[in-house]
Amino acid sequence: MVRESDQLRSEIVALLPRLRRFARALTGQQADADDIVQIAVERALMRLEQFQPGTRLDAWLLTIVRNAWLDEARARQRRAKVFADAELGERVGDGGEASAHAKLEANEVRKAMQTLPEEQREAVALVCVDGLAYREAAEVMGVPIGTLTSRLARGREALQRMLGAEQ
Amino acid sequence: MTIDAATLMAYADGELSAEERAEIERALAADPALRAQLETHQKMRVQLGGAYADILDDPVPERLLSAARGPTPQAAEVVDLSARREAKAKWSVREWGAMAASLVGGLVIGLGAMNTQAPLIAVTGDGMSARGTLERALDTQLASDEADAVRIGLSFRTEDGGYCRTFELTERGTSGIACRDADGWDIPMTAAHGAQGDIRMAGASEAVLNVVATMIDGDPLDAEAEAAARDADWRVDSR
Repeated sequence: MVRESDQLRSEIVALLPRLRRFARALTGQQADADDIVQIAVERALMRLEQFQPGTRLDAWLLTIVRNAWLDEARARQRRAKVFADAELGERVGDGGEASAHAKLEANEVRKAMQTLPEEQREAVALVCVDGLAYREAAEVMGVPIGTLTSRLARGREALQRMLGAEQ
Repeated sequence: MTIDAATLMAYADGELSAEERAEIERALAADPALRAQLETHQKMRVQLGGAYADILDDPVPERLLSAARGPTPQAAEVVDLSARREAKAKWSVREWGAMAASLVGGLVIGLGAMNTQAPLIAVTGDGMSARGTLERALDTQLASDEADAVRIGLSFRTEDGGYCRTFELTERGTSGIACRDADGWDIPMTAAHGAQGDIRMAGASEAVLNVVATMIDGDPLDAEAEAAARDADWRVDSR
């Protein structure tokens, strides 16, 4: 049993870069992302026995990262709703003016991602950033595939509008 | 045929079966506008992938690595043991005695569970004392005797004139010091060490020797003096 959990731990270590990337796509800030990953890893280790061998460890961990972020995002909304809304408004304005030159800049893409509603951002992050299949992404989000694809489509449309990538 | 937006997106995301893909590709070949839409999807995927790609190559912060590795029981124990060993070497006899008292509950239970013979070490009002095979070995066995369940190490006299002997319970991974008093053999310290692993065993013996060094008066008894003391039943007032 000890050996099994050691094995899982080293697999978790190997997945840390991907978890950080996913968390970064969700949170928009690397420091926030790493906090979320740390919380998620600690949660995962506390319930290691809930992981079912034979299922995908990456999807399980991404789910825990996602839920950790949702908890945090909800808490932040409660703490600073007015501030968050003001900031979001500014960013939406910026997005519309994103120049053709800058549209490929990673920074612009990440900024645009931050303006998406949470549910669209996580769909885009799971499928387009992490590369999960629809079925896996839907499982991580706990929604039917149809819900995932419609959020994904809306998220992409919004990103394309902001980034001026429609042609 | 017309391809709806959802199907085209699914195609771009690699979600379709071979059959469906073939159908889409026929439509793409015939429809430049559809090709442009597909290109938009593909560009978006490339952009999104690129926007976060660097993070994969970033060194993972140490705090996350340690969170994921967590306390690894075996490794932690080894580190802990060597650290503890160093700490133990500096302890006084009284501290050793206190630790021995705290260990003895588990020791007696362990011995009782492992065999049916009476405990070798019993808790008394003010510490621990030898019983059974250990008590007999301390009474009669010499360091040069073949070790069975008990191996006798050094015998020495303390500053107050009494005799003490070091012993090892060969099957228990326990060593310690026993000192003769009016009632029998008092045990001021024991050190548990792993049943296997020479390093730990050597460390525990060393810990015993460190305590001996704080108790001993003069040199350890040589074989002749050891035998003489045994023959005198470890009495200090006999001569």
